[in-house]
Amino acid sequence: MLPLLSLLISLVTLVVARSSTGTDVLVIVSAEEQKDYTLFFEDLEGRGYDLFFREPKAEKPVLLDADVPQFHHVLMLASDTKAFASDITPQNIVELLTKNVNVVVALSPKQNLFYTLAPEFGLVPPPPGTPLISYFPERTDPPTVLPVHVAPGPIVTPNTPPVWFSGIPFSVGNSPLLVPILNAPSESFASDSDSTTESIVESVEKGGEGLWAGSSLGLVTGFQVTDGGRALFLGGGAILSDAFANKALPDGSSSGNKQIAHDVSAWAFQESLVLRIDETSHHVVNATEPKEYYTTNDQVVYTTKISRWNAKENEWEPHTGVDDLQLEFTMLDPHVRTGIPEDLARPGTYSVTFRAPDRHGVFKFIVDYRRKGWTHLKSAITVPVVPPRHDGYPRFLSAAWPYYAGAVSTSVGFVLFAALYLAGETKEAGKKKKE
Amino acid sequence: MAPKSTSSKATTVSPSSNPVLALWKSYNEQTPDRLRFIDAFLVFLMLTGVIQFVYCVLVTNFPFNAFLAGFSSTVGQFVLTASLRSQVDPENKNEFKEVSPERAFADFAFGSIVLHFFVFNFLG
Repeated sequence: MLPLLSLLISLVTLVVARSSTGTDVLVIVSAEEQKDYTLFFEDLEGRGYDLFFREPKAEKPVLLDADVPQFHHVLMLASDTKAFASDITPQNIVELLTKNVNVVVALSPKQNLFYTLAPEFGLVPPPPGTPLISYFPERTDPPTVLPVHVAPGPIVTPNTPPVWFSGIPFSVGNSPLLVPILNAPSESFASDSDSTTESIVESVEKGGEGLWAGSSLGLVTGFQVTDGGRALFLGGGAILSDAFANKALPDGSSSGNKQIAHDVSAWAFQESLVLRIDETSHHVVNATEPKEYYTTNDQVVYTTKISRWNAKENEWEPHTGVDDLQLEFTMLDPHVRTGIPEDLARPGTYSVTFRAPDRHGVFKFIVDYRRKGWTHLKSAITVPVVPPRHDGYPRFLSAAWPYYAGAVSTSVGFVLFAALYLAGETKEAGKKKKE
Repeated sequence: MAPKSTSSKATTVSPSSNPVLALWKSYNEQTPDRLRFIDAFLVFLMLTGVIQFVYCVLVTNFPFNAFLAGFSSTVGQFVLTASLRSQVDPENKNEFKEVSPERAFADFAFGSIVLHFFVFNFLG
């Protein structure tokens, strides 16, 4: 019985907690829509997530209880719903993100509270009721259902086939925290599907002004919160749906919807591209313990260890191959800014030796590593840098020997002078006495 | 004030023909031995001071405290010795009535010892 139990436990641990933050997912979706996403939910459960479903208007389970998040991830798929329960507000969603809860939000052509939430992240949706439309490539589907080419990026698996999309685009702001994942095809535009020709003619007359069109519009865009939480905005929940996952592309091959649903949820739920700083240390060369304060011009060694979350193995592993990590030694301004090369003998360890500036004050070792899609790494250690103690300066320098010799010769000269002077005086006194 | 006194080469050139030589001759003849001895020490101090200053300008002023100590020891010793010279000069007797030559030397020795104390503290 006991071996069986332990086997069961090991099996459970094998499956559970593939995300670096936790397994509990709250899915806010209406009962009818829930049936559209069975493949996606199966995929999530297969990766060890515990799904909790909630109707948009149901009061329970709550997002936050006494300001404590109740779930590790929140999936807002109720895109067609107009009214939500009282605790589903933009403020609460932002609150969740600051508490390292990951949020996936699906927008839709129908206006709801997410239309006010998205602009807070630099994503501006078009006017309500204007879905993305494209007449290319030629196909039998309605113009609002279009295949989108997947551009290579750090988040999606390379060579993902085109994916079916239906929903709205949004203009992507220039916030550095935004991570574009899927952009609209260049020949697509957002328009009221009943009057596309009219609106195009109208906007052509205005020189294209006011037309939501082109490949700079986002369809799936991530947002990396500085504290580690991740938000993912979908132009439409349909991209995750069973219908699109099973729908063949115009050329007959299968679509990449299943793949992209897997990839973007892995990113949003902090499975992939998750980094952390395990430890940082600093000391002078040839020492091991950090000094309480450093002296100007000390040779200082700074070492940091970076780990990456491995979702398959369910553990943190050393993150190798970062060649653009930088260390700043700052007092208001960086006095030293240097790259931290990888210590090849110890995987995941990055170490640099530098000379402390010839300037005393309170300095900080700062590592601030932000790359699109990756968790931001930030570490700051404050250390004082003091001038040498009064006996800490170098002494008896060879360059100073003329000065030493000058001082000694003056002293010796004084002694000799005094001796001879006094000798002469006694001689003179003797002379005088003789006279 | 401090002409060369290290050598007393007898010159055969006529004194009246050259004022410098005349000055030199009269210095040798009219200055007491004691004052000429003091002058010799003053010249020595001046030369070591000049050497240090030239070294500082041409080679390095690092470490600057050593330069200050070495150079100021020669300057300070020069000042003290010059004071001694003016006080023991028999011609200045009227100006320093209350200062006997022994008292002048004691002042000189005390001042020098204090000076060298500071110099060696500052030199390191």
